[in-house]
Amino acid sequence: MPKLEILSEQQRTMLLNWPSPENEDSPWTPMSKSLSDCKVALVTTAGLHVRGDKPFTTAKNGGDASFRVIPRLTDPADIVQSHTSIGFDRTSIYKDINITFPIDRLNELVALGKIGSLSDYYYSFMGALRNPAGLIDEYGPEVAKNLIAEGVDVVLLIPT
Amino acid sequence: MLEEAGLVTTSISLVEEHARKIKPPRILSVPFNFGNTLGEVNNPSYQHEILAATFDLLDRSIGPVLELFETDKIERVILSRSEAMTGSDADKKDLLVELSDIKPNYEKWLETNKGRTAVGLSSIDAELFPAVLGFLKQYTAGEVADSGLRPQQFSIGHFVRYCVDDLKSYYLESRIAVKPDASMNDLYQWLWSDTSLGDLLGELAAVMDDSEDKEVKAIAYGIAR
Repeated sequence: MPKLEILSEQQRTMLLNWPSPENEDSPWTPMSKSLSDCKVALVTTAGLHVRGDKPFTTAKNGGDASFRVIPRLTDPADIVQSHTSIGFDRTSIYKDINITFPIDRLNELVALGKIGSLSDYYYSFMGALRNPAGLIDEYGPEVAKNLIAEGVDVVLLIPT
Repeated sequence: MLEEAGLVTTSISLVEEHARKIKPPRILSVPFNFGNTLGEVNNPSYQHEILAATFDLLDRSIGPVLELFETDKIERVILSRSEAMTGSDADKKDLLVELSDIKPNYEKWLETNKGRTAVGLSSIDAELFPAVLGFLKQYTAGEVADSGLRPQQFSIGHFVRYCVDDLKSYYLESRIAVKPDASMNDLYQWLWSDTSLGDLLGELAAVMDDSEDKEVKAIAYGIAR
């Protein structure tokens, strides 16, 4: 987002006081091969789902931590956004899904040989969680398990 | 979680301050507005530049890695009705006339975007939007508390929210179809200042904010943004 200094005081205060987790250190899995040999998966927090699937909801306990599966070959016309946050521009994704879900860009990188291959399934969570417990304890590990079962090497994480 | 499970991750952050606290293994901090993570719509070259910088983080041997993607100053998007209203004296039409008038623009949007639309959260077909508007007007006026249009799987609060999201999408997509070069701020100013829908949603947000139903009250915050 734009630097904090140009935001309204309300927005700046909200962001600075957001209850984001604070970690002392970070896990680290080193790359074992070149990206051009890797299978890459796309995971977003843009609150996207396949048309007809259950939308994300305004949950009472700090946000909807669930995820939606988006098969890689889903027609962009069948991907909709139900993110409950009101703090972001929606008009850009109307015009170009790649602005937060770069499906075409990843296909192009495979065609150029920059990426080895892509997973059959992508995933969407919904960001702006005030309570990430469900994400940490349940849904995140479930997606990790699915990605590993599919032989994914690298995960590209894109917010909105 | 993903990294702990043995996956290699690389990511983008829109809030550098949060990224410094959370310390994901590899993260590129970008200065764009929320909703614009890869910088510019319909600009594959620029989007690839940002993705390349994100994937480059995979070459670092020690983490956590946080690098900044620098660019020129970005104009802030003003989303909320309270900020975006310009005091316009635009000649506003009756809601149903307004909806009818923009329908050809929405159809043009569908045609030029291969049928892709953000409309659909409520699961109500756009042909029934006149009835949806009727419900929202009556709900705002306190005349009804529910609608026969509501799918059973949605609470009334969420149904109202999804209807509002669909109408916002319908209006904004219609506007983009005829003003493709309009900036994000132009679009939101039009919605909130020059349309009767903008007026209705302002009133609806106030009514929902006064509700004793906690879910309805929580949803109110997003109605006029």
